[in-house]
Amino acid sequence: MPETATPPQQNGGGFKLPDFDTLKKEVIDSQIWRSMFRGGVWKDTPRDRAAHIIGNVWLHLHPVKVRPRALHWTYTWGLGGISFMLFLILTVTGVLLMFYYRPTVDLAYRDMKDLEFAVTLGVLMRNMHRWAAQAMVVFVILHMVRVFLTGAYKKPREFNWGIGVILLTLTLFLSFTGYLLPWDQLAIWAVTVGTNMAGATPFLGNEGPFGALMGMRINNDVRFTLLGGTMVGENTLIRFYVLHCVAVPLITGILLIVHFWRVRKDSFSAAPIDPAEEKVDVWPNLVGREYIAAAGCLLAIMIWSILMNAPLEIVANPNVTPNPSKAPWYFVGLQELLVYFDPWIAGVVMPNLIIVGLMAIPYIDTNPKGIGFYSLKERPFANAMFLLGVAMWFILIYIGYYCRGPNFAWFNPWESWLNQKPAMPPTWNIFGPLEGAVPFTFKMAADIVGGRLGGLEPGVVPNLMPGWLGAIVLGGMGGFLMIGPKLIQKDIPGKTANLAFIGAMAVVAVLGKIFAGLPVMQGLWLVFFAWTGFYFGFLLPQRHIRQLEWPRYLFTMFLVLNTVAVPLKMGARLAFNVKYVLTFPTISLNI
Amino acid sequence: MAAFLGGSAAATGRFFFPNVIYEPSQKFNAGPVKSYDVGVSTRWLNEQRVWIIRTDKGIYAMWARCTHLGCTPSWFDDQGRFRCPCHGSNFNQGGDVIAGPAPRPLWRAKVELAATGDLIVDKAILEDLPGKRDNPPFFISLNA
Ligand code: HEM
Ligand code: FES
Repeated sequence: MPETATPPQQNGGGFKLPDFDTLKKEVIDSQIWRSMFRGGVWKDTPRDRAAHIIGNVWLHLHPVKVRPRALHWTYTWGLGGISFMLFLILTVTGVLLMFYYRPTVDLAYRDMKDLEFAVTLGVLMRNMHRWAAQAMVVFVILHMVRVFLTGAYKKPREFNWGIGVILLTLTLFLSFTGYLLPWDQLAIWAVTVGTNMAGATPFLGNEGPFGALMGMRINNDVRFTLLGGTMVGENTLIRFYVLHCVAVPLITGILLIVHFWRVRKDSFSAAPIDPAEEKVDVWPNLVGREYIAAAGCLLAIMIWSILMNAPLEIVANPNVTPNPSKAPWYFVGLQELLVYFDPWIAGVVMPNLIIVGLMAIPYIDTNPKGIGFYSLKERPFANAMFLLGVAMWFILIYIGYYCRGPNFAWFNPWESWLNQKPAMPPTWNIFGPLEGAVPFTFKMAADIVGGRLGGLEPGVVPNLMPGWLGAIVLGGMGGFLMIGPKLIQKDIPGKTANLAFIGAMAVVAVLGKIFAGLPVMQGLWLVFFAWTGFYFGFLLPQRHIRQLEWPRYLFTMFLVLNTVAVPLKMGARLAFNVKYVLTFPTISLNI
Repeated sequence: MAAFLGGSAAATGRFFFPNVIYEPSQKFNAGPVKSYDVGVSTRWLNEQRVWIIRTDKGIYAMWARCTHLGCTPSWFDDQGRFRCPCHGSNFNQGGDVIAGPAPRPLWRAKVELAATGDLIVDKAILEDLPGKRDNPPFFISLNA
């Protein structure tokens, strides 16, 4: 019989499984799908691709077409997009953590432990949240560096750069507020130090210059509002919780929308490969790449979070600080800065100057060249100063992270923390009040400079020269350095000037060695730090920005000199034990 | 209009200053004065954040809060120094700064001798000026 030859039918032969394409078509053509997603049948025409972007609330922040150059990985490196993906991961994992975390002094730490050991996948969520936060700081910084190096902040994108600076600040502020929530030793001490800096704000903090004058006390200054009390406690925890989980993410989200909208409206910076090139469709060329980057980013964070646990120290003790106590790595640079400068300078003035300075960059950099591609040559001054700033930030982080051991004493990275370090040599001031201080003699000057300071009354900090003289000397030097480079009309030949300056400093070091017994190592440091100041603070501005008109020139020089002052002061402290260059203790003015 | 906006901003700002705060009392009984030997005692560090320091002239209490940014320094007997774990300030036994970024000496707290011979410490009243801090109520003279 022929029947036997028919192949056996599945499911008794009545029903046939529809193949995938038919199924897809049925779903897409259904009324439900059609009501959710706009547009007709997908035929992959240019019109379809455009409609995919325009017709979708999430994608319509994109333009419909972009220049091919903007798609090259090596232009943006996807850094802004990855920052945003990390922000999304943080939002999702953060909301999940909120289901278990209760922000009170008694419960917060226990809830962290529960998340680690009692909640299914709790530890993964916590790890992802922690690592994504750290990655976001890295990627936002890298994104800023990329935008700078491609000149993408220049007209007409000045405003969006400014929004970006605020986003960077908010990213760091989110990290700071989130850091308190686990309520462990790391948390409470980082926040104690961080908020005490607010107490050192001039005028508004109880320990800041002129604070007492304004009637600031421990229970009515800015620090008090931040903490909701006089110490990091219950009120602080709930304040930081609300800031971290509601207020700051909301503001960040709003600014992100503005940021993206401006990226599009200002038209993306990438310079065309050839002026006549044709633009390509954003779907799928750009959006596809974005999806790949996002997926890779999520995968990387997940793998990292499976392999490594977020740290959790013992529960917070407001009376005893762990030794050494270190801020999270992205703030360790600031912590290290606090070793050299008074809190109101390092913790209030400098961060604000950095923020204002960054925002001002597009308005003071009038060089029209180098927009939309990496070009070190066409913008030598801007690039040198910006990279100096970034490098200094990471050198400070490196020192704070790898070179500081117990009691925040200096340990080289290869030295064991178990070896006791000899006690730090006493410090001294260059200019300061002479009353009550050790009288100045040539021998003492030689001893101080040669690092042989001993046998002084304990607690007496010697001032080498009177404060009024310091004010005159520093004021005069500052004034000359501010306007000098612009007054010298001709280009100073770079190589000759460098060699001459290094030679002069070497002579000073040798004279110091002969007459004051200056150790060789200190002589070398002297040459190095002085040269850094000379090159970045004088030679480069003289060669590159003296043509700027006065207001722009002065503001730029102000930022430049502030930047180079940092390594100079660091050198003075590290190599010569200088505490302050100039101090007026009665008004807490210490530089 | 401007007045309304300014007023609202000021009122919202005022909202962030709590009127009542619940923080632990600053006063405590540090036990019999006699129980302290010459030197720096860390007995109350963990609970009250105070060192009780007995010299051959008398006794005083020092608040264990670094005057830089508020960390708790550690005492090193061999070096005779307090050293701060946060930015490396060094102080001598009297609380004066030897090195590091701290701007002023450590604070001493008010001390009283109760009728029982106990030492009562009040951290709400502080002093750090040489001269003032070496006299009552920040110092109690005792014979060695
Ligand atoms: C929360 C952090 C931030 C996110 C999520 C973010 C996201 C983005 C994205 C997705 C782009 C598109 C191009 C690209 O990927 O490079 C972009 C462009 C841009 N961003 Fe950001 N950004 C952030 C922070 C910053 C910061 C800190 C700055 C600078 C201080 C900045 C300045 C700019 C500028 C000027 C553009 C336009 C670049 C061009 O047209 O080439 N952004 N941002
Ligand atoms: S808090 Fe003690 S040195 Fe900074």
